Amino acid sequence: MEPMSPVERVIRTMEGKPVDRVPVFCAMMESSTAGEIIGKPLLSNEAVMNMPVSRFILDRWGPMVTPVLFRPNLSRTMHRRNRGQVAMGFDAIWMHYDDTWVVLDHETVAFPTGSIYKLVPDGFGDLTYMYKKPGITSPEEFDAWPFWPDSDAVAHRAYRYYKKSMKLFGERTCVFGSGFAGGLQEAMNWTFGIDRVPLWIKKHPEYVMRYLDMMESLWMKMHTAMLEAGVPVILQTDDFAFKTGPFLSPKMIEEIFGTRYRKLIKHVHDRGAKYVLHSCGDNTKLFDLFIDWGVDGLHAYEPTSNVDIYNEKKLHGDRVTIIGGMGIDYHLTGRSKDEEVVEKTKELIRICGPGGRFLLAPAHSEDGMPSHKLRVMLDAAREYGAYPINVN
Amino acid sequence: MSESLQDVITAVDRMNDDGIIDLVQRCLDEGMKPIDIIEKGLSRGMDMVGQKFEAGEYYLADLIMAGETVMRATEMLKTKMDPGQTGKKGKVVLATIQGDIHDIGKKIVGMILESSGYEIIDLGVDVPPADIVEALKKNGAKLVGLSVLLTTMVEGIREVTERLKSAGIRDTVRIAIGGACCTQQLADEMGADAYGESAIAASGIYDTFRAELGMA
Repeated sequence: MEPMSPVERVIRTMEGKPVDRVPVFCAMMESSTAGEIIGKPLLSNEAVMNMPVSRFILDRWGPMVTPVLFRPNLSRTMHRRNRGQVAMGFDAIWMHYDDTWVVLDHETVAFPTGSIYKLVPDGFGDLTYMYKKPGITSPEEFDAWPFWPDSDAVAHRAYRYYKKSMKLFGERTCVFGSGFAGGLQEAMNWTFGIDRVPLWIKKHPEYVMRYLDMMESLWMKMHTAMLEAGVPVILQTDDFAFKTGPFLSPKMIEEIFGTRYRKLIKHVHDRGAKYVLHSCGDNTKLFDLFIDWGVDGLHAYEPTSNVDIYNEKKLHGDRVTIIGGMGIDYHLTGRSKDEEVVEKTKELIRICGPGGRFLLAPAHSEDGMPSHKLRVMLDAAREYGAYPINVN
Repeated sequence: MSESLQDVITAVDRMNDDGIIDLVQRCLDEGMKPIDIIEKGLSRGMDMVGQKFEAGEYYLADLIMAGETVMRATEMLKTKMDPGQTGKKGKVVLATIQGDIHDIGKKIVGMILESSGYEIIDLGVDVPPADIVEALKKNGAKLVGLSVLLTTMVEGIREVTERLKSAGIRDTVRIAIGGACCTQQLADEMGADAYGESAIAASGIYDTFRAELGMA
């Protein structure tokens, strides 16, 4: 078979059509890994944010100066991550749009959709964010939350970001566009607090519905912006499960989110694009539901999550594209040996490759992931991933 | 078993957080001791919830709601008990490893353990290994639960075990780990004593630890 372009290879794979080899998707790339590939920035974000003058300004006027001082930095970081993924030669990349944060002080930021995060050094000169607490703990706080996003403005900024990024990278890789915040359930978890969400659903269902209406509308506009910028695949993140299985029962998930997801996915399909859902955790009980909603691909299949990717290939591999399988708990860390990464790549290709509809990918990204291990995975995929699959 | 106590068990199983206080009050009015209501009512209800969770009938959200129901009742009963009667299974020091500030899983584990009769000393998140060892010494605790979500922070587990060895108390302490990046393999690699895959598993793990340490 003639060699294909990355976009052709990925899209044909997702349509179940024959391709030249198993494509490889990069599940985002943190700054530390991107820095290894394209070089570190002259001035690190950590240094900038920790300058006494920065602290002084951010601690006093954080929300006010966010658009001029913080977001340009985020924008540069996002582009660097994209460049790193493309430079490595992945067939598909996770292009994340993230410049919606609001700075509360030099070490605290808020998601406009109602959650609070701590900015912490990533250990490699950049900053990363870790969930700190829900931004909303009562109906009164819901009504008073000052940062609800202007969805039109966010979508407009996202459009410009993706338009520029597609011009730069759109022909070199298949872009999976992913917007800020989590999907419908995940965002709700962060906003209200995972351990409080069941209480909100029980005691304040009207607020939950208001929240989901807002998020659905926001996502609809974000997806439209990405599609109009030429993004061929929408990647929605929504962690529905934990290691022990779904957070809510499949019945509740269908009742609360089913109609909304069907609408969002149809919107994407009507515009000729593909829809991929990233959901961490053991989603075994949810895969049929996701497929019924209309997703074209599913991502993560983390080895630590109890999902059996090989069984999933047997059960659903003819109806949905399986994306992932390479663990970041061991294989893509400094603790593994190169030959173990090669063997795991071969195993995934041998079992998931036949029949197509498989994109090899890390299950996630993490600060400090060595680019070398990604390179070993990529090289092995190119060496052993040609169709027809013939891996011992 | 009295009808009122059975109603408490059912209320926990059905996550009736609104009705639990009245049901517990009814048990008290009938002359039951608070500790009996906890052990024979709330704990048994939680056991049922745990069994249903493990059978796949209940989900994490159900576990949280049942835990919320138990905690509400326990808070009310604590006011009517001597301090020594609560947490009599022993003290568990919980902490999220240094560098990591995720604590939702840890909070749920704490809730489950507390409703099972353990006293929880929650050190919070981003906790230096030295502080964990210090807390064990200061509180006379022998049970530790370490939470870690991020692969990059797992070495913190090893540091805790090493510090316990240096302090000469490793053999008298039991450590369980849990969190998204954890596996049994990681527990073995880092020198922890057990890996808990779910919050509901925590109770069984610490009961086993108690038996090993002669605390039961």
